[in-house]
Amino acid sequence: MAVPVQIKGVTKAFRRAVAVAGVDVTAGQGVTGLLGPNGAGKTTLLRMMATVLAPDSGRLRLLGHDPATASGRLAIRRHLGYLPQEPGFHRGMTVFDFIDYVAILKELTDRRVRHDEVRRVVELVGLAPVSGKRIGAVSGGMRRRVGLAQALLGDPEVVILDEPTAGLDPEVRLRFRELVSQIGEDRTVILSTHQTEDVAAVCQQVVVLHQGRSLFAGTPAALIEQAAGRVWLDVTRGVGAQLAWRNGAGQVRNVGDAPAGAQLTAPTLEDAYLLLVGDTEVRVA
Amino acid sequence: MTDWHVDEGTIARYVSGRVPLSVVASVEAHLMACPRCRAMLAPVVELDRLKQVWGGVVERVDAPRLGVIERLLRLARVPEDTARLLAVTPTLRAAWLLATTAALTFAAIAATLSGESERATLLFLTLAPVLPAAGVAAAFHRGLDPTYEIGLAAPSSQFRLLLQRSLAVTAVTCLAALIAGLMLPQRTLTTAAWLLPALALTSLTLVLARRIDVVYAAASVGGAWAVVVMSSHVRTGEFAVLGASGQVAALAVTAVSLIVLVVDRDRYAARLGGA
Repeated sequence: MAVPVQIKGVTKAFRRAVAVAGVDVTAGQGVTGLLGPNGAGKTTLLRMMATVLAPDSGRLRLLGHDPATASGRLAIRRHLGYLPQEPGFHRGMTVFDFIDYVAILKELTDRRVRHDEVRRVVELVGLAPVSGKRIGAVSGGMRRRVGLAQALLGDPEVVILDEPTAGLDPEVRLRFRELVSQIGEDRTVILSTHQTEDVAAVCQQVVVLHQGRSLFAGTPAALIEQAAGRVWLDVTRGVGAQLAWRNGAGQVRNVGDAPAGAQLTAPTLEDAYLLLVGDTEVRVA
Repeated sequence: MTDWHVDEGTIARYVSGRVPLSVVASVEAHLMACPRCRAMLAPVVELDRLKQVWGGVVERVDAPRLGVIERLLRLARVPEDTARLLAVTPTLRAAWLLATTAALTFAAIAATLSGESERATLLFLTLAPVLPAAGVAAAFHRGLDPTYEIGLAAPSSQFRLLLQRSLAVTAVTCLAALIAGLMLPQRTLTTAAWLLPALALTSLTLVLARRIDVVYAAASVGGAWAVVVMSSHVRTGEFAVLGASGQVAALAVTAVSLIVLVVDRDRYAARLGGA
């Protein structure tokens, strides 16, 4: 069986701006996170995976199919769920109606079968109590769930979620993570985020993107390992610190080249990520 | 509480649906309050039939509420799923219909009041063929369809959807223009001569949209049409473009455009946004 997502040396530019520059991604069953700051190329990469954007060069295979061909695109789309970064909704429609509409686009033409499937995904994401409400009348978190529900129609083998937790309050975000984790138990989920907490919480694999390039691909534990010996606590910003900030306990957490005798501490995914992308704008508060 | 209970024979007939409605009502009223009779009923109910009935109830409760357009499409025997896809088309919704009808009616009435019937006809004949093309452009412009991106990643044929929506929008807009045309002071054959040009402009817009944004395509085609009609009228003092040769030309453009669309449909699907 082919690896669900295989991307090799993919590039994409919009006029002169290079959005994705030779990125490799391999993803199997489970949740893979694309982590990177805004403008890193995450959305462009996901749109190429979702067959809505063609790469300029490189090799892209989803479920063994080539999206460059019409038959390949169709085969991929029949097994794909996609939640765009800013999904639009027909706000006058009810939750049920909207998902029903997307189900028709997904070739579920038999009304009875389609409605059963709509009910299934509505239940799955916990929207049953509001399925008869107009989308314009439900909260932002609920709307995000509507987006997720439509992506799960037809039980797709690959689910692509572009910043699914952006803008959600902490409680809703936690519920969303739980859902994504459940979905990833028996299929391939690719999600993009600029939140390291999301990756630490649900991703078995992570790809760090920065300025269109892949800086790391591996497990979150391996990413954290890269920062071992490079995080220390002090009372002030340390010499050699690439980044430093005062934590809740009043200590300054330094990330960079630790001086001799520094009070080293266990790195987090955030430390490792910051070291990798080298965000020099972070300073002591 | 009553000492009366439903007997086994009645239960059996009730389950098989062989009792009159008055008995059904009586039995059901009793069952609501009597655990003993419910316990007697439960083992003899056919589970498959119960699931079927329950499924029907759920289906009826969840059934989407049909809007006016969807009802009309269903009345016209359009299949349920197609009607739903068409009803969501932005330009088929009330706002577009109202705007189209209002624009054409305004053109007709304003000129009627001013007494300049020829100018009214010129304005109408310039405007009417452009509106279906504008409607089709609006139906496919990503800014007007909130589910554009989701639709692109779905397996349903973008080309088929394009044809279905274009046909529906063109039909509805042409109907609005026909009604507005009845208000013109001069109700001659000339006032209906916009129909073939309308089809030509719409199909040409779709062909151009393979290469450029559909809104630019509609604007270019509409602009060119306006220039041709008006300059021709200024030069000859007649509606020459809408004469016999103009109609033949419009028919030819429509036919060639449709052939190009069908032959080149894969490229068109890609232009619509597919990778």
